[in-house]
Amino acid sequence: MSQYRKGLWRGMLAAAAVAGFVTSASAQMAELKIMAPAAPGGGWDQTARSMQQALTQSGLAKNVQVTNVPGAGGSIGIAQFVNGAKGDGSQLMVMGYVMVGALLTNKSPVTLDQTTPIARLTGEYEAIVVPANSPIKDAKDLAAAVKADPAKVTWAGGSAGGVDHIAVALFAKAVGADPTKINYIPFSGGGESLAAILGGKVTAGISGYGEFESQIKAGKLRLIGLTTPAGKGTAEMPSLKDQGVDLEIANWRAVVAPPGITAEQKKVLTETMDKMAKSKEWTEILKQKGWDDAYQSGDAFAKFLTEDQTRTKEVLTSVGLVKS
Amino acid sequence: MTTRTPRRIDKAGLLIALVLLALAGLIWQDMSSLQLSSVYGLGPKAMPMVVSVGLAILGVGNAISALQGGLPERESLDWKPIVLIIGGLAILIACVKFNVGFIPATAVLFACTAAAFGRRAFITDLVIGFAAGLIIYLLFAKLLTLSLPMGPLERLIGA
Amino acid sequence: MDSLFALAHGLTVAVQPMNLLFALIGVLLGTAVGVLPGIGPALTVALLLPITFKLDPGGSIIMFAGIYYGGMYGGSTTAILINTPGESASMATALEGNKMAKAGRGGPALATAAIGSFVAGTIATLGLAFLAPTLVELAVQFGPEDYFALMCVAFVTVSATFGDSPVRGLTSLFIGLALGLVGIDKLTGQARLTFGVPELLDGVEVTTLAVGLFAVGEALYVASRRHIQEEVVEPVRGSLWMTKEDWKRSWWPWIRGTLFGFPIGALPAGGAEIPTFLSYSTEKRLTKYPEEFGKGAIEGVAGPEAANNASAAGTLVPLLALGLPTSATAAMMLAGFQQYGLNPGPLLFAERPELVWGLIASLFIANAMLLILNLPLVGLWVKLLAIPQPWLYAGILVFATMGTIAAKPSVVELTMLGAFGLLGFLMRRFDYPIAPVVVGLILGPIAEAQLRRALSISLGDPMVLLQSPISATLLGIAVIALVLPFVLKGLNRFKMQED
Repeated sequence: MSQYRKGLWRGMLAAAAVAGFVTSASAQMAELKIMAPAAPGGGWDQTARSMQQALTQSGLAKNVQVTNVPGAGGSIGIAQFVNGAKGDGSQLMVMGYVMVGALLTNKSPVTLDQTTPIARLTGEYEAIVVPANSPIKDAKDLAAAVKADPAKVTWAGGSAGGVDHIAVALFAKAVGADPTKINYIPFSGGGESLAAILGGKVTAGISGYGEFESQIKAGKLRLIGLTTPAGKGTAEMPSLKDQGVDLEIANWRAVVAPPGITAEQKKVLTETMDKMAKSKEWTEILKQKGWDDAYQSGDAFAKFLTEDQTRTKEVLTSVGLVKS
Repeated sequence: MTTRTPRRIDKAGLLIALVLLALAGLIWQDMSSLQLSSVYGLGPKAMPMVVSVGLAILGVGNAISALQGGLPERESLDWKPIVLIIGGLAILIACVKFNVGFIPATAVLFACTAAAFGRRAFITDLVIGFAAGLIIYLLFAKLLTLSLPMGPLERLIGA
Repeated sequence: MDSLFALAHGLTVAVQPMNLLFALIGVLLGTAVGVLPGIGPALTVALLLPITFKLDPGGSIIMFAGIYYGGMYGGSTTAILINTPGESASMATALEGNKMAKAGRGGPALATAAIGSFVAGTIATLGLAFLAPTLVELAVQFGPEDYFALMCVAFVTVSATFGDSPVRGLTSLFIGLALGLVGIDKLTGQARLTFGVPELLDGVEVTTLAVGLFAVGEALYVASRRHIQEEVVEPVRGSLWMTKEDWKRSWWPWIRGTLFGFPIGALPAGGAEIPTFLSYSTEKRLTKYPEEFGKGAIEGVAGPEAANNASAAGTLVPLLALGLPTSATAAMMLAGFQQYGLNPGPLLFAERPELVWGLIASLFIANAMLLILNLPLVGLWVKLLAIPQPWLYAGILVFATMGTIAAKPSVVELTMLGAFGLLGFLMRRFDYPIAPVVVGLILGPIAEAQLRRALSISLGDPMVLLQSPISATLLGIAVIALVLPFVLKGLNRFKMQED
């Protein structure tokens, strides 16, 4: 099965070319395939397509193809990637924090340890918002409400067990409420949850800041706080930590390579990413999309990935999202 | 209205009822293995329960109508074409699984289905199916950049 | 009148030769890919996005509009001709459309679909131009309980597809509901009925089920009966074009379909399937020719097709006015907007009016172009049915599998296609209606998720369903729709003194 898929997803554009097409370590890559383990349009897909744009425009790679393998928070994509692209130094897969949680909640047989970590690209802080007419004005009000009765504070966010859900659980924990008692309502898409918040159907909403930006600017939503580190907040973009809620979390996105690639192949991929991260084109895209640069590659990223997996598992178990 | 002449028991109808009951049981069993529940409101078990109970009731309903001979009359059945078409599909799936490629897979399915509809010229149909597969492949994989399964042949075209 | 002026200005932008060309390319590509079962407009837009990096924003968004409408139209062409709905929203079209095609009335069926799409698209686009800000205010007021009530209305109307035995109709519906359980439970993230197969985690794909039941199932059934009764398909019987009678019977379904499609499409979780079902069952109830339903009634094509297209325009309401992408294609369009540093949302109308009105104008253009392109093709499409039967069905099977392969390339998916084909065959043989299975699969999961959301917000209090005025009204309609047929039947019986 895996063999066929590898062939299948390679088929985009005219490139039936054989794997491992890297010409030399320093020059441009002739061919690169980036898998977005999600349907077109989502965050991972946009990351993959932005990489495609930056890599081709800056001349770091000649031919970049993006393939989509949607399903189960990336569980299908990673299974296919790990089995089908083994040893192929011309493939990358976009992944992120959501996948860490999804693999745990789906009890996936494939884990991220089986991939070759290459680089972390972006990070997006979570934003907590309330409708503009809400009596809740800041994080203190929200914290008080959650502490008084977590059931009465309803949260709209993304899929169950995802980064939004984890962040809400951590919020409850940080303000001294029982994180297993939060009233979190998962919605299928960003559009649906945003509509529920705007319509005042829920108390608060949580998602990446970009999702809410235009509504906040239009005065339809009030920003309660961002999950940024202490001291990073401003009057317009207040940090939760500065408001006394000890919650710091970022929805990062990264790329990994298939298992079993050679050290040389790994070096080429890492260098390409390093160069892309510094390119004018990539910086431009980050600005345009409102993504924060969280670039980290090599061993530092590998270490980060391992640590984050352990931490996420602890959180998910402690809030009852995963039965240990 | 059908005339109410007492008919014999419809065995196939009873089998359908049994399958429905088995499905109801399967859903119930899967439902009871769910570990997490929602904190507020309805949990994940409510809907499977409704569906399972509904299927069980319908299973009984179907059994009753089978016992009363309430199912419509059926004509005799020719199994050969069904085996041919399903066989063609099975070969197609095998082709996809073992990397034989889209075009040969399409050719086999085309020829098998045509044979099921009474064509005797299997080889001719194989050729027609092959040509059709090739055209579809070129159109969709090349022009519209859709990804289709690749075998040796497709790689040859692609290179 | 500002809007009118802006729209006129938008039209002048859209009719520039280059922009017309982009619209043409978009419509062509959209139709070509839309005919493939399983490949929707979203994937096409995704594939084309890189090509448009170098186009100016206006041009590429006009192209997107063309793809969007083209994809919708392509789906209905295959639904009518070969009983293979290209997307879930054209399932209702297949019900009557394919029967018409088999009776030699494929021409009028395709024509009423094309013209109905045009009429609906035009009215809906006008609605988008003038009502978007108001409509969106209402749309966000729709809470989970209201969606659940809307699903109840849809469920009640499903009985229109049940045929003559309620037990068998309900059995079909419950099989669909059971299939809808498969996959990750949206609210707790747990897997249900997946048996450890990761491909099942995302549930059963509606197009796989529909194509399996309709196209593959039908091929098996017809093949198994060849020794008794040869199926005769006449490509054209009577007029290739719509007769006066056809026009007369299509007008109101087009309008009613639009009235279902546009507002429901504008709801953030409305979708295109529900309005098509509602339209189908409404037409069945209202028609003067009830005996034709199930055998190829033109109203059953005109209404759902109009609803389908109108909901496509409806989807753009929350996208443009709020920046809410409520369908996969809308999400891709949003990505397209962002590519040029534009953020759809409350400020877009104020900040970049020329672009918004250019887009709305190009929707008009794309719609007109589809009509001009497709009407002359009707004759050609219908000729497809003249292909000798073995090759026609062989082609249908190739088409059905290739759509599945291209959309979700997995052995599991293809095996499901085959299994659903067998199921469709058995259901035909034992006279179980097919459509309720697909309806159950579509509506079941939405109804469950929305009800559970509503009850979670209300902390388990079911009264929330009656406290919301929208929900209470919709539930009232559902009850009336459930009871009314029985009352009418009783009255008729009384009047006719028959049976």
